[in-house]
Amino acid sequence: MTDERTGAQVMCEALVRENVEVMFGIPGGAIMPFYHAMWEYRDKLRHVLCRHEQGAGHAAEGYACSTGKVGVCVATSGPGATNLVTPIANAWMDSTPLVAITGQVSSAVLGKDAFQETDITGITLPITKHNYRISRADDLPSVFHEAFHIARTGRPGPVLIDVTRDAQQARVVPDWNTTLNVPGFDAPAGIDRRAVREAARLLAGANKPLILVGNGVIISGAAPELLALAERTGIPVVTTLHGIGGFPEDHPLSIGMPGMHGWVHVNRAIQECDVLLSVGARFDDRVTGKASTFAPRAKVIHIDIDPSEIGKNVRVAVAIIGDARAALRALLDETPPRDAAIWLRNIRDTQATHQHRQPYLRRPDTTELMPHDVYAALNSALNGRGGYRVVTDVGQHQMWAAQLIEWRRPRTHITSGGAGTMGFAVPAAMGAAIAHPDETIWAIVGDGGFQMTNQELATISQENIRNVKVAIVNNGYLGMVRQWQQLFEGRRYSGTPLSGPSFAGLAEAYGLRGFTVDRIEDASEAIRAAWDHDGSVVLDFRVEREANVFPLVPPGLSIGEMITREAPA
Amino acid sequence: MRHTLIALVEDRPGALNRVLGLLRGRGLGLHSIAVGDSETPGVKRTTVLVDTDSVEQTIKQLNRLIEVLEVTDVTNSEYVVRETALVKIHAPEPRREEIKTVADGFGARIVGSSPQTVVVEMTDTPDRLGEMIARAMVIGACETMRSGSLAMALGGPTRRANAAGPEDATRAWWSQADGA
Repeated sequence: MTDERTGAQVMCEALVRENVEVMFGIPGGAIMPFYHAMWEYRDKLRHVLCRHEQGAGHAAEGYACSTGKVGVCVATSGPGATNLVTPIANAWMDSTPLVAITGQVSSAVLGKDAFQETDITGITLPITKHNYRISRADDLPSVFHEAFHIARTGRPGPVLIDVTRDAQQARVVPDWNTTLNVPGFDAPAGIDRRAVREAARLLAGANKPLILVGNGVIISGAAPELLALAERTGIPVVTTLHGIGGFPEDHPLSIGMPGMHGWVHVNRAIQECDVLLSVGARFDDRVTGKASTFAPRAKVIHIDIDPSEIGKNVRVAVAIIGDARAALRALLDETPPRDAAIWLRNIRDTQATHQHRQPYLRRPDTTELMPHDVYAALNSALNGRGGYRVVTDVGQHQMWAAQLIEWRRPRTHITSGGAGTMGFAVPAAMGAAIAHPDETIWAIVGDGGFQMTNQELATISQENIRNVKVAIVNNGYLGMVRQWQQLFEGRRYSGTPLSGPSFAGLAEAYGLRGFTVDRIEDASEAIRAAWDHDGSVVLDFRVEREANVFPLVPPGLSIGEMITREAPA
Repeated sequence: MRHTLIALVEDRPGALNRVLGLLRGRGLGLHSIAVGDSETPGVKRTTVLVDTDSVEQTIKQLNRLIEVLEVTDVTNSEYVVRETALVKIHAPEPRREEIKTVADGFGARIVGSSPQTVVVEMTDTPDRLGEMIARAMVIGACETMRSGSLAMALGGPTRRANAAGPEDATRAWWSQADGA
């Protein structure tokens, strides 16, 4: 029978049909039949062998976040699958479309504690949009189609497909005429025009309106509509960590990032505003501080594709449920031109009075290499050259990057937000680099996060990925925790001092270039050299060890209560 | 506050597990859950009694689950609630008459017996079951097995009068998605 295929071949064919070009993974016993079939598809499906499944998962996320397409990662059963748990949780929190394929032990031994058996669908139940365990090869075409549909439709997210070894080996005649049968999957409905008109009315009548931009703007490709709405109304725009790039920061209406490490003038503006239009943001506690005190004077208009986000953390006056781009288009139809010049001037006045007290905009008078110097050099290189994307990890360096680089385009700032996954940056940058071979992909990472997943430098080397440039902001501490210990726990640096090898030497050992930078005057030149080098590079910036991120809203307080500098000793 | 939710859930592997996992993960107290076939093949109708501060959020979260087709909070509408209990009363022969009197008084039936025990079956509101069980415990040590509450709203049209299966629901949903 020529139409007969193995389940594993059907899996490959299904991936090709879903326009998958690349997947990141590691083989093992229970997924071997899939790898066996993959060989026949190697011209259509690129497989990138990672060094750890967590790296494979984050690489797939980096690919997904930089393209908007579904990222695919592959692992075997048991430890292979459990190593994917962190990236899956990360994709869940950050609404990243991801399909994770795991092998499972044969159905004959399922439930018998077989070698490398783990109930991965049970483990990932609360961190996936949906998951499947397949033990019949006949189910593969419809399940793969459904999984990709669910991962990318509505609010994107991770879907896991667990396939038993015997289902991969079974021979079937695949039926590709599958219709989606997911009646319980609430695809976004049309935009409610009445809600849009009510929102337009609120915006027109507001004296102090603000627009809060989240990841939804980037996911739905709504940046042009957002720009049009902001320019028509003159309403100042705030971008959350995941909204960064959704609105150009060199635009006069951009006022910056809110929240725990947001600017004083931004948080003050939120506390003062009378109408807050939130587009695709979910009012995370890192944005709101103590939620009951957030934007106390504001009527909130909440645009979100996920109905369960409406009213979850803050009270909402008008809810517009649907795709951010469609909602903004509808709002553009209904919203007359206006301006908010006086309000914007107030905000800029606050900014001017506070800026000189925000230590991060003012380099301290020292001859040591400060994080300031690294970011100043990075910012001028990035915006001077263009053609870049940046992936950041989690911690101080991440906040500095958000604050100190002028972000301009969607999908150029990729980070781990909701889950706060250290170790995200290096593999995610690798995934973005594969998706965008003509661009330069910078990973900005702390020395702590770098040491969690730097094994993927071996993958970068083996795959001959030439466009990853890693900038380690190395302060020899788990810096953000150390900062909290300094500010709130009497400088008890418990478990935060951190050593490491020569990172430049490590890079060279992996066959990449590595440079150590510890002088102010070398920072720009090192970045230039790394950018121009035809190959991936690690820059180890040895910065002042106890620099802090300011402003800072202490946990549990209102975003109006910011610390802008260290208490005098 | 305790809410009585009625949910239609597709009968797929792990679906019930997802519902329970969601309630657990969100830290909500599950009082009882009763699951059984609905009038539509492949769809279970379940009654969930759950303690939640924000029932709206809970319903929205449940609706995010792929297999959950519909969730209704009937707490503040007109509905009937019934629960079935099997009560095994340890009582020697001389007390059987007393048990029969109590059972008759509550409209319960004796459905089985052994030399040491009698099993009484009763279907009523959860409160009435509680009263009967309290009375039975005076007679002898009891073991109880309760079904959890079953709720049915009084008003509203009978859902899917033509007993349309999930395939029809798919079509409706799919055309909607195409339009968007």
